[in-house]
Parts: sequence; C-alpha cells; structure tokens
Amino acid sequence: MATYLLRRILLGLVTLVVITLLVYGLARSMPGNPLTVQLGESDPSRKLNPEDQQRMLEIYGLDKPWPVGYVQWISKVIQGDLGRSITRKQPVTRLIGERIGPTVLISGTALFLTWFLAIPLGLYASARGGQIDERFTGLVLYALYSFPTFVAALFLQIIFAVWLRDTPWELPLFGMSDLSSDAPFFDRCVDVGWHAILPITCQTYVVLAYNSRFIKANLEEVVRQDYIRTARAKGAGPWRVLVHHAFRNTLIPLVTLLGLSLPALVGGSVIIEQIFTWPGMGRLFFESIRERDYPTIMGLTLMFSVLTLVGQLLADILYSIVDPRVNVE
Amino acid sequence: MKQQTNSVIEEIDTTKPSQGFWSDAWQRYRCRPIGMLALGLVVFLTIVALFAPAIAGTKPVVCQYKGNIYFPCLGYFNRSWEAPIFTKDKFRGTYPTNLEQKDSQSWAVWPLIFQDPYRRVRENEWPGRRANPSRDEGHPNRFNLFGTDQYGVDIFAKMVHGTTIALLVGFVSMGLAGSIGVLVGAIGGYFGGWVDMITSRLTEIVMCVPTLVLILALVAVVEKPTIWKTMAIIGVTGWTGIARLTRAEFLRLRQTEFVMAARAAGAGPLRIMFRHILPNALAPVLVPITFGIASAILVEGSLSFLGFGPPPPTASWGSVLNSARSNLQLWWLVVFPGAGIFLTVLAYNLVGEGLQEATDPRLREAKK
Repeated sequence: MATYLLRRILLGLVTLVVITLLVYGLARSMPGNPLTVQLGESDPSRKLNPEDQQRMLEIYGLDKPWPVGYVQWISKVIQGDLGRSITRKQPVTRLIGERIGPTVLISGTALFLTWFLAIPLGLYASARGGQIDERFTGLVLYALYSFPTFVAALFLQIIFAVWLRDTPWELPLFGMSDLSSDAPFFDRCVDVGWHAILPITCQTYVVLAYNSRFIKANLEEVVRQDYIRTARAKGAGPWRVLVHHAFRNTLIPLVTLLGLSLPALVGGSVIIEQIFTWPGMGRLFFESIRERDYPTIMGLTLMFSVLTLVGQLLADILYSIVDPRVNVE
Repeated sequence: MKQQTNSVIEEIDTTKPSQGFWSDAWQRYRCRPIGMLALGLVVFLTIVALFAPAIAGTKPVVCQYKGNIYFPCLGYFNRSWEAPIFTKDKFRGTYPTNLEQKDSQSWAVWPLIFQDPYRRVRENEWPGRRANPSRDEGHPNRFNLFGTDQYGVDIFAKMVHGTTIALLVGFVSMGLAGSIGVLVGAIGGYFGGWVDMITSRLTEIVMCVPTLVLILALVAVVEKPTIWKTMAIIGVTGWTGIARLTRAEFLRLRQTEFVMAARAAGAGPLRIMFRHILPNALAPVLVPITFGIASAILVEGSLSFLGFGPPPPTASWGSVLNSARSNLQLWWLVVFPGAGIFLTVLAYNLVGEGLQEATDPRLREAKK
C-alpha cells in the first residue's frame, strides 16, 4: 500500500508540474497584462506611461520571459507561498479563503441534496422498472440532465425575480446578501439562505438527474446476478432484496463517483456563480482570467488540479476498501 | 424428386444474406420510438441549418437582375458568395426596393420569412411593412414570430441562422476531438508499453484541468475569437473521453485472432490499426462522439453566454441568451433560444443513448 501511495503521489506531482507549466504558459501568452487590462478599461487617461509600466512590471517580476517567471512561481509554491494577487493587492491564499466559504455553501448543500434524493429515486426507478410512472419520471430526469444550467438559471430568475415580484415567493436575483454586516447574525443567515436557493437548485438538478440514472443503471446490472435470484428464492421480500442485497452491492461505483465530485465541491461552478454573481471560487477564477491576474489564476489552477488528483486517488483507495476483491496495487 | 431438389436450391438462393452489424443495429434502433423521434429532430435541425438563408433572410433566394440569375442568399454563408454586382450597384443589403428601382424586369424568390439575423429591418424595407419594434416592445407578433431583441433584430431569424452555427460547432469540434481522441487512443492501445504510458499521461493531464478553465484560458489567449477558433478550442479540449475508450477497445482487440492473422499476412501496424481494428471498435467510440456533439453545443452556448464566444455579428443561440441577462423582463429572449439549445442537446443525447443500446452487446442481453 505504501509503495502504491508513494508511486501515485510521485506521478501526481509530475502531472501537477506539467499542468501548471501549461496553464502558466497560457496565462502569460494572453494579450495584455494585469496593469494594462485593469487601468485601460476603467479610464483611458489613467493609462500608465511606458516608464512607470516598465517599473511596475519589474516589481511584479513580469519583465522576464515566462519560463523564468514559472520557475520563480513554483519555487515559491514549494515554500508554501502562493504569492500576492496583482489586481486585488492581497495574498492569494487569503482570497481563496474568502471565497471558499460561499462556494462550499452552495456546492456542499447541492451535493448533500443530490445524494439524499438520488438514492431513493434510483431505488424507486429500479423497483418500478418499466411501469408507466417510472418511465415518466425517467424521461423527466433525462430531460433535466440535458437541460443547460444557464438556461435553467435564467428561467428561474425570470419566474422568481420578475414574474413573482412583490409576492411572498419572490426570490433575490443575485448577490449573496442584501443586509449590511452590522445586521443581527440570525437575520443575515436567513438572508444568505434566501439568496442561495436558486443557485443551489441549479447546481443540484443536473447532478441529481445524472446520479439517479447512474444508480438505476448499476442496480439493473446487479439485479441480474445469481445471488439476487437466490435471495428471492429463499423468500426475501422485494424491498429487502432491493435494499439489502442489491443496493449494497451498487455502493462500489457510487463511492468512485463521490470521490470524483471532490473538485466540484470546492471548485464551484463558473457559470452558476457568474449568473447569480455569487462571490465564490468559480467567479474568482473567471475574474482573474479577465484581469490577467496571474498569481490568482495559478493558485486556483493548482488547487483545482490537486483536488482532482486527490479525488481520483481517494476514489481508487475507497474502491479497494469497499470491495476487498479489488487490489489497488 | 428432381423438382424437389430444385425447390430446395431455390429456397437457399432466396434466403437473405445474414445481417451485418450495422443493419442489425439499425433494426434495433428503429424499435425505439423515442430514439426515432430524436433522430427525426436531428434531421429536422440539419435541414433548417442547411436551408437557413432560405427560411429567414432579407436576401432573395434566387433573383434575376439585369438579365442574369443570382443567388444572393448564399451571402449569409459566406460574404464573398454574394455576387459583386450588388455591391457595385449600391444595394447595401436592401434588396426589395432596389431590385424594383434598378431593373424593372427583375424578379426574385424570397425567403419564407423576411427578417434579418444581423440587423433591424427598417420601415418600408419590404413595401408597406413597419420597422421592427425595439427596446422592450418587441413581443412576439405577426412579423416577428419569436419577438425582437432590444435593438430590433428578429429573434426567429437569429434562431434559424443560429441552428447553422450550433450544428457546425457540434460537428466540426467533435470531428476534431474524435480524430485526436481516436488517434491518441489507438496509438496508446495498440503499441502499449512506454508509448501507452506517454499517451495515457497526456490524456490524464488534459483531463485534470477542468474543461471550462482550460477553454476560458485558451479563449483568452486567442486574440480575436471567431466561431472557427471557438470550435477548434472545444475540439482540442474535448477528446480525452474518446481517447480512453478507444484505448480500451484497442487493448482488447489487439489480442484477438483476426489481428494476429492480419499480422501474419504481413500487414503493417498502421494498416492493422485503421483497417482491421478501428472498424470493430467504431460502435463504442461513436457513442461518446454523439454525446460529445451535445456537450460541444452546450459549451459553445455557455461560452457565448458568458460573453467569451465569437464576437457579435455571429448569430449564436448563446449570445441571444447573453443579451437576455440584462433584460430579464424580455422573456422571449430566454424561452426560444433556451428551448432551442435544450431540444438540440436532448436530441443528440437520446440518439447517443439509442446508439449505445443498439450496439452494445451487454445491454442487448439485458433487454432480452
């Protein structure tokens, strides 16, 4: 096990270096730099004169070719320093720390809801397989799975923020909170929760549709096994067979899926956060690309890739724990 | 006795040759009503995409002008396909009145709906028709079936011409992704060993970067995004799933007898890979490609929606949705393009699903 872990971690490190090199190269080849993009857009008269700009570039270490910049960046990362954001004048770690809470609030709740609803739905679908009501829900879930989030988000905004305006059902259009920070704590929590309903709905439904279909497909495969026939033959009731005998055996692929959803949990969704102007990680990434804020782009990329790799490793290890027949080595 | 033998021979002659794999798959596919419905929708969308300028436009499909026959509507596909004589005679894109004034002998066959996807139709451009309503007055009406946006551009025309873009995005980017994926997967799966090590690592690296992150970074690098560059970017980021599947199929098939036979007959690796193995691995590879078309359309939609898509004159569904973001009370800017993207994605997903069930032997067993 130890050698396996060591090998995986070493391979993962190599992958990380290649990914960050790739993204750093890409980021530095984007036209413009943090100074020109930020100042030029707001007010043309505030454009820096060339000497000042050159001086600023030197301060940020952007006057050297990008491979040199990459080496500088990665040697700092090894010392545990992600650098400072150029446009926001803050350490990248603090920026991430500020944004991670809102993102996890959305994606964590969505993840919980997804599993909470997907498992009963999957069980129901395979228990009533082929019946009219099951085929109908199956079709609805399939349609939801193909429904683009950005369209759904716009629909929800139109319904709850425009058509239902001035009714008790009205929901806030965007942002995370309308109250100032000196409002009572409880009121603020309620307000944030109110704002979070639409983004959470959007993030839940697609994954829910996918997961319940995934559970159903796995159950269908398991139900054909011999031991299910044995369980039925010895007189176990249909629900007991389904839950106790069949479902327990579909847990294995589910565990993998859970491990793979780790990056989405912290990474958030660029589109949903952008539509609802939710101050999370996805939005931070989107903004940092627009502002050419290289340290933030790199910090986020590093985090996303580490999480993806850890998620994969976790999925493999969990797989071997849940299913003793599987040996990771 | 003789007669009997003859009839037996006749019987043997008339029995059909055994069904091939694809005709068998088609037989199975045809039995699924939803799959057939989806296929019908795909065919319908393809027809709309091909004939978009003849369905909605302000340029005649066919016209006779100064004794010659022209097809000005082709200008919607490519600027240079519009005959230069119209630029020379200063038509400036307004055909109905100009044709009449400059050549009284002229005739023209007009598109079904006289509306333009790129600009507002002005007053009396079509004799007796009022100008398109603009700002928030563009409710769907007789002349603007799906309403108009805040600048008075017709949404129906945008939708029809957007179909061309959507299908182009789906096919071009997935064509690219499919070629890269099959090539990488085939090389890795066939040769194995350290070659496989390198290609697998490459696939894993591309997989590890979240797709939208990579795409946004690439779009930012490309200075002037056009629809073709967007397609290329979606293509070069979307091949990993196909590569993994192809690799698995090749790993399985390279150990079969027919490959060994081909090798014994002296076939080179390229010939074995693409003439012998690939046709047998095609069905499982085609399934993710079909799903990929759906997701490519989705990705283009979200890019345009975020404002990272091709620049304004391109009439893509996502850009209509983007213009709706700041005008939420104009519900028709959301409902029609939203339904367009949804139905297209759904259709391709259902076709993919049908294909999977029709060609995957394991699922076939399950249905019995």
